[in-house]
Amino acid sequence: MLQFLVTWLATTPSLAVPYALGAVGLILSERAGVLNLTAEGLMLIGAVSAAGAVLSFHAPPLLGMAVGMAAAAFVSLLFAALVITFRANQVIAGLVTVFFCQGLSSLLGAQFGWTSKAFSGLGPVPFGPLATIPVLGPIVFGQDLVAYLVVPILFVVSVVLGRTRAGLNLRAVGENPEAADAAGVSVPITRFLAVIAGSALIGLAGAYISVASVKIWIDDMTAGRGWIAVALVIFARWNPWRALFGAVLFGAIQAIIPKLAAAGVMLPQYLVLTTPYLATLAVMIWVSIARRHAPGDEPGALGRPYVREERV
Amino acid sequence: MAEASSPGAPPAGASRGFGRLTIEVRRSVSPQLRIGALAGAIAIGLTISAIALVLAGVPASDLAQEFIVATLFDPTNLKAVFVQAAPLVLVGLSAAMAFRVRFWNLGIEGQMIFGGVGATAVSLAHAGPDSTRLVAMFVAAMLAGAAWAAIPAALKLLMNVNEIISTLLLNYVASDILLHLLYGVWKDQDGFPHSLKYSASELIPDILPGANGGLVIAAAAAALLVVVTARSRAGVYMRFVSASPSVAEALGVPVRPLVFSTVLLSGALAAVAGFVVASSQEGRLTQSFYQGYGVSGVLIGFLARNNPFAAAIVGVLMATLVIAGQNLQVFYGIPQSMVQLIQAVIVMCVAASDFLTVHRLHWAR
Repeated sequence: MLQFLVTWLATTPSLAVPYALGAVGLILSERAGVLNLTAEGLMLIGAVSAAGAVLSFHAPPLLGMAVGMAAAAFVSLLFAALVITFRANQVIAGLVTVFFCQGLSSLLGAQFGWTSKAFSGLGPVPFGPLATIPVLGPIVFGQDLVAYLVVPILFVVSVVLGRTRAGLNLRAVGENPEAADAAGVSVPITRFLAVIAGSALIGLAGAYISVASVKIWIDDMTAGRGWIAVALVIFARWNPWRALFGAVLFGAIQAIIPKLAAAGVMLPQYLVLTTPYLATLAVMIWVSIARRHAPGDEPGALGRPYVREERV
Repeated sequence: MAEASSPGAPPAGASRGFGRLTIEVRRSVSPQLRIGALAGAIAIGLTISAIALVLAGVPASDLAQEFIVATLFDPTNLKAVFVQAAPLVLVGLSAAMAFRVRFWNLGIEGQMIFGGVGATAVSLAHAGPDSTRLVAMFVAAMLAGAAWAAIPAALKLLMNVNEIISTLLLNYVASDILLHLLYGVWKDQDGFPHSLKYSASELIPDILPGANGGLVIAAAAAALLVVVTARSRAGVYMRFVSASPSVAEALGVPVRPLVFSTVLLSGALAAVAGFVVASSQEGRLTQSFYQGYGVSGVLIGFLARNNPFAAAIVGVLMATLVIAGQNLQVFYGIPQSMVQLIQAVIVMCVAASDFLTVHRLHWAR
């Protein structure tokens, strides 16, 4: 039983990391008022370019992941231009960006021969004897560097959002762009920066999947994690720490399924796989019933393009 | 002339010395402008796609040949276009109907799955005589798809749960249920995870040589929806809801029943697409028969501006692109993902072109 708990808890962080990073990236963009459905696509871009950097240029894994961040941020410019400059519908623009990224990542993988080639990737941080401590060793000292960096990254994001001038501007643009504009904050520039910064984190989430968890690139390997990240943002009501909680919860559910099967518990495995989705749905229902009369956490201008000329 | 500092002026996109670009929101949009912008956007999208294909190794002189002549004037390819068009038109209609009542149905794939599951359940149960089997499968598919679509519709109307997320999540639930069936009770005797082959009476037949019955179903659905949206009371109500749900409510439109039944209709249309793919292409229920149709449907609905007639045309064009892409793969080794990229680029261009129809650009010195 203890052994079961230890292996379960030791595998949870690596499954939770992409959810946490993806959701926080989306939160940055949505707090600035840009409804963002692009995570599934940008994660794929991050995953393929990080794997490509490692395979073709023998980049060290962390550098490869930085390449994945940069690539996702670069591709997100397309989405940002569509919704911010051209004021396109944010749902359509998000979906078409995902579609574009699925095509592009598959094309890149095939053209450069990165598809289905295993590599060594990012390993656990070498803590030496600490990792052999019973129980604590595998759980606390058995993770890779990025997993340890998630909490500091979230800390930086929430401090920037909550306590700096830039974060105040970002939130103002998302809550009330007219007022922010009147106060001299550039709505388009702020939104562009929010989308780009968020997309870099989403790219890191994808790069983590290919370089740290699975250590291979396969078409569509994110397999819906991006959409779960989108749902997590609502679960977390646009708060980074609640998103981390949700990510760990999801990672734990995902991690326990193969462990139960290995322990000989007979379960209908495909039906068990639906639990994260059903859990998200249940939480969304709970949030909408329990918080029906509470003030909304949703950014006031979410999904609404800013049209300055309509200002009276 | 540096005017950027003058207070009160709208300095959007101001540029020193060259006069200034100002942007106004148009009060009305002429149909000519709308069509012109759409045509321009598609032309730009196709040009970008052509450049990408040339860079990928297709000789520029062969592009028109491959895309138009080889695809539409070759009987085998034309037949393939029609077979491919039927489900694409249906998912496009499904999206267009839901969008008309402001419901973002991103659950088309889940509803397709349930359509395939409903039809296959009838096939496996040998329900009714052979002569009516196809009709029974068709009806079962529609009911199953509508029932699956009822979940997010009810969640939205009763509990205000965001349908963008709920429909997406339910796609994954549906696909796991499909795998549960195909790896479980419905597994074929050959041991592969697909259902038993449909019998001959369960396959949608060719109506004319080269024209599969699936296309007839899609065309009939499109024609019916053209009449419903243009001539019926429900069509008028949908237009009110599309313009403003609160105003529609105030005018006495039964908004909630209308939205609910339209979403069920959308789910049923997607389910028919699933039935058509299973029965006219695969001949059985497979693991992945629905994949890729969800986003395609949404994009077709968007390009067609939620108009059923336009959705039928765009669906056929998309099918042409898919079949042309398969030929490019065979003859030039262009990966199928290139077709996806081309579709995405065209939709991005059209989405961006809306800016020009909604806004008036003014170049003032």
